[in-house]
Amino acid sequence: MYKVFFQCIATLFILTIIGCNDPNQTIESKELKSNLIQSYIDEAKNKQNSKEERRNNLEKAYGIYSTLNDNTFKVEKIQEISFQYYALKDYDKYRDMNEKALKLSISINDSLNMARSFAYLGIYHRRSELDIAYKNFYEAEKIYASLRDNNESKEIAFDHGKVLIDMARILQRTKDYSESEAVTIKAIETFIHSENERYLPLSYTNLGLITKYFEQYDKAIEFHLKAIEYAKKNNNEISQTVASYNNIGIVYKSQEKYDKAKEYFLKALSFKDFLAKNPDRYARLLDNLAHVNFLSNDMENIPELFFKAYKIRDSINNKPGIITNALHLAEYYKTLGEDSISSIYAIRARDVAIDISNNEELLNAYQILSETSDSKEGLKYAQAHIKLDDSLEKQERLFKDKFARIRFETKEIAEENQQISRENQILIIAILGLTALFLLGYIIFRQQQSNKELLFAQTQQESNEEIYRLLLNQQIKLEEGRQLEQQRMSEELHDGVLGRLFGVRLSLDGINQRANDGFTEARNKYIDELKAIEKEIRLISHDLGAETLPSDVAYIDAVENLIKDLCEVHKITFEFNNDEDIDWEGIDDQKKVNFFRILQESMQNIFKHAHADHIKINFDYVDSTINLTILDDGIGFKANKVKKGIGLKNITSRVSQMNGEVQFLSNEGSGTTVSVRVPIAAKVEEVY
Amino acid sequence: MKKKLKVLMIDDHPMIIEGYKNTLLGENQKEYQIKIDIASNCDDAYASIVKSSETVPYDMLFVDIKLPPSSDGSITSGEDLAKHAKELLPKSKIIILTMHREDHRIHNILKNINPAGFLIKSDLTSSELLLAFNNILKGKAYYSATVNDHFRKMMTNKFSLDEKNLKILYHLSRGVKTKNLPNYVSLSLSAIEKRKNQIKEMFSIAKADDQMLLEEARKRGFI
Repeated sequence: MYKVFFQCIATLFILTIIGCNDPNQTIESKELKSNLIQSYIDEAKNKQNSKEERRNNLEKAYGIYSTLNDNTFKVEKIQEISFQYYALKDYDKYRDMNEKALKLSISINDSLNMARSFAYLGIYHRRSELDIAYKNFYEAEKIYASLRDNNESKEIAFDHGKVLIDMARILQRTKDYSESEAVTIKAIETFIHSENERYLPLSYTNLGLITKYFEQYDKAIEFHLKAIEYAKKNNNEISQTVASYNNIGIVYKSQEKYDKAKEYFLKALSFKDFLAKNPDRYARLLDNLAHVNFLSNDMENIPELFFKAYKIRDSINNKPGIITNALHLAEYYKTLGEDSISSIYAIRARDVAIDISNNEELLNAYQILSETSDSKEGLKYAQAHIKLDDSLEKQERLFKDKFARIRFETKEIAEENQQISRENQILIIAILGLTALFLLGYIIFRQQQSNKELLFAQTQQESNEEIYRLLLNQQIKLEEGRQLEQQRMSEELHDGVLGRLFGVRLSLDGINQRANDGFTEARNKYIDELKAIEKEIRLISHDLGAETLPSDVAYIDAVENLIKDLCEVHKITFEFNNDEDIDWEGIDDQKKVNFFRILQESMQNIFKHAHADHIKINFDYVDSTINLTILDDGIGFKANKVKKGIGLKNITSRVSQMNGEVQFLSNEGSGTTVSVRVPIAAKVEEVY
Repeated sequence: MKKKLKVLMIDDHPMIIEGYKNTLLGENQKEYQIKIDIASNCDDAYASIVKSSETVPYDMLFVDIKLPPSSDGSITSGEDLAKHAKELLPKSKIIILTMHREDHRIHNILKNINPAGFLIKSDLTSSELLLAFNNILKGKAYYSATVNDHFRKMMTNKFSLDEKNLKILYHLSRGVKTKNLPNYVSLSLSAIEKRKNQIKEMFSIAKADDQMLLEEARKRGFI
């Protein structure tokens, strides 16, 4: 009975997964390869090709697959290939492919595909090694459960449900009914959540089988009816109905409600079309019906019905069926007292049971044989029965232990992982903390360093300006001294020398008027000459003392000296204009220093880069703004091409210090103009 | 009978007094008997003036403008002395003799003192001094050519500039900047600016800059 479901699930699985896979690739070669793989797979799917051809196609697909680079894509492809091997019943290849898929998924940390691979491997192992299958399903279940914690996807829920029901069925087969019941209920909940009812009939059937073992017969029947209910919504209604009626019949048989049991077997047998296609199930129903009839002493069609079923089963070589049938016949003949015939059937059942290692039935066969054989043989069979019974019990216990161990071990591993991840977390936090600390330290260090640099630059600038101020003061004092001296000389000449000269001339003139010695004219000439000398001295005196040079001239002098000196050194001609309206005296030293430095910097730039022959420097005063223009006839530069050097940066920073603006205008080949505009606060006029 | 004349010569240079003496004591001794007093500073000069006002007043005073000031500081120049003299000796003829030939100073002296004679030393020859001396004695004023020039300039303009305006123009022409003018002219900067604008308006060059103002002033003979 299990096998029917088995096949059914496998095919459904495959169909679902194939449907899900829709590789959507962008890279061309990848696309090409993917198309090729797809076409090989399609070819392998084609049932018209021979098995050999289909296998070859799969091998080709795998060959191309191994050249792929994208691991996610690879996982999907290898899973698809594995389904085809499953379809070809090449289960070992199916297992190999899925083991590869699992490895790949682990390497790229793709938990969804890891879960899928575990589930597929479980499907492989559930045929023979239940414990390994259980382990795989258990792993898959764990991943699905954690995936569903933060993903509401119905698809994942459905896959999760499939894994759960597989586990439940394995547990049921190993007679761990209570555990199986819990898992089945969980599976049902999961399927309902996924809103996909395809496996609900299967789940309820399993639940029905379990509750029967717990002897809760009403509940068992209820579950089987529910299975039919859910199957009605799906396509395989008839198959499920037949199976469920059969199961219900068996439940009633266990309750010894033979009429009811008979009624359900007959109900199931009424699906003649379906049973004609499924002889194994037909035979089973017949056998069950016959057995119930026999138990209820309704011997009308007995043993013909047994034989009919036995014949069908023999013809399709349904070994489990043959065993059951043979045992029923043995039982029948034993009741009739025909021990020899009974033991023939029992021996047949025993041989087949040993053949397919069905220990349950083997046990039953030994039971009958021990009763029907003569005392010596009977003892031997009884002993065999006891031994087998013990070993079966042991095996059950072993399974239970194994599964418990699997659950425990994985829990342990999970705990270990948790421990490790906790440790890792602590490590990461420690590393991060240390890094942050180090960074902080570094930043503080850099800050201090740059502060020091800044302080140094500041003091340097201050001392620079101090030097300049002293220089300027020196110049001003020099100028004042010079002016004072000039003034003194001027006054001396005007009042002293000129006065005395005038007195002398006047005296001479006076005397000359009186003298009459014929030289009057000649003397007059010299007297006039004296007058001319006076005039000249007066002019000199005037020039000397005319202008009491304002002290601000000193600044402009310093500026002009700078320009003159630099231009002389670099052999460049210059033109310098200073607007007399600029009140240099009233402008603070800071600004004067800045202008001085800007000029110096600009001229350095010109000498270094411009290859100019002539420069023109103007200080203009317009609307309370001093405009400094420095113009050269050099090679210029592309304004956007030259990244700002330290020179230009210094100029810009100095100008912004004075709340001014600076413009660098240049074009290749047409010289450069630096124009600085600095507003000067209007002086408050004094009124008195 | 020679007419008696009493003259006070004020100059801090003995050489110049010598020159005056040499000029006057030649020819004029025939006509006049000149008694010459000498003062070389303001104190002496003032003392002489006061003394003469109480006795025989001077007929004529030769006053230099630049003189060592009086010890109490009340009299600082020949100009101040001349003012006192005018009060104390109203009948005395005052002859100003100075090295200064700047228009505004000439203007001021003419305005404040209105002297009988105004001679610029640099123009002066002994014959001119004599001529001036004689004219003044006869009651005619005598001015040097330079002073006369100044008069002529003033006459050609329909208006005259007052002393302060002239000072402003004078200092501007010397190259003093407007903002420094308050140091030279006892006016506030705003007052000076106002006056400058007035002058420009008078010259009908309202929107001219300093350069044009000075050119115009030169043309009109204010400088």
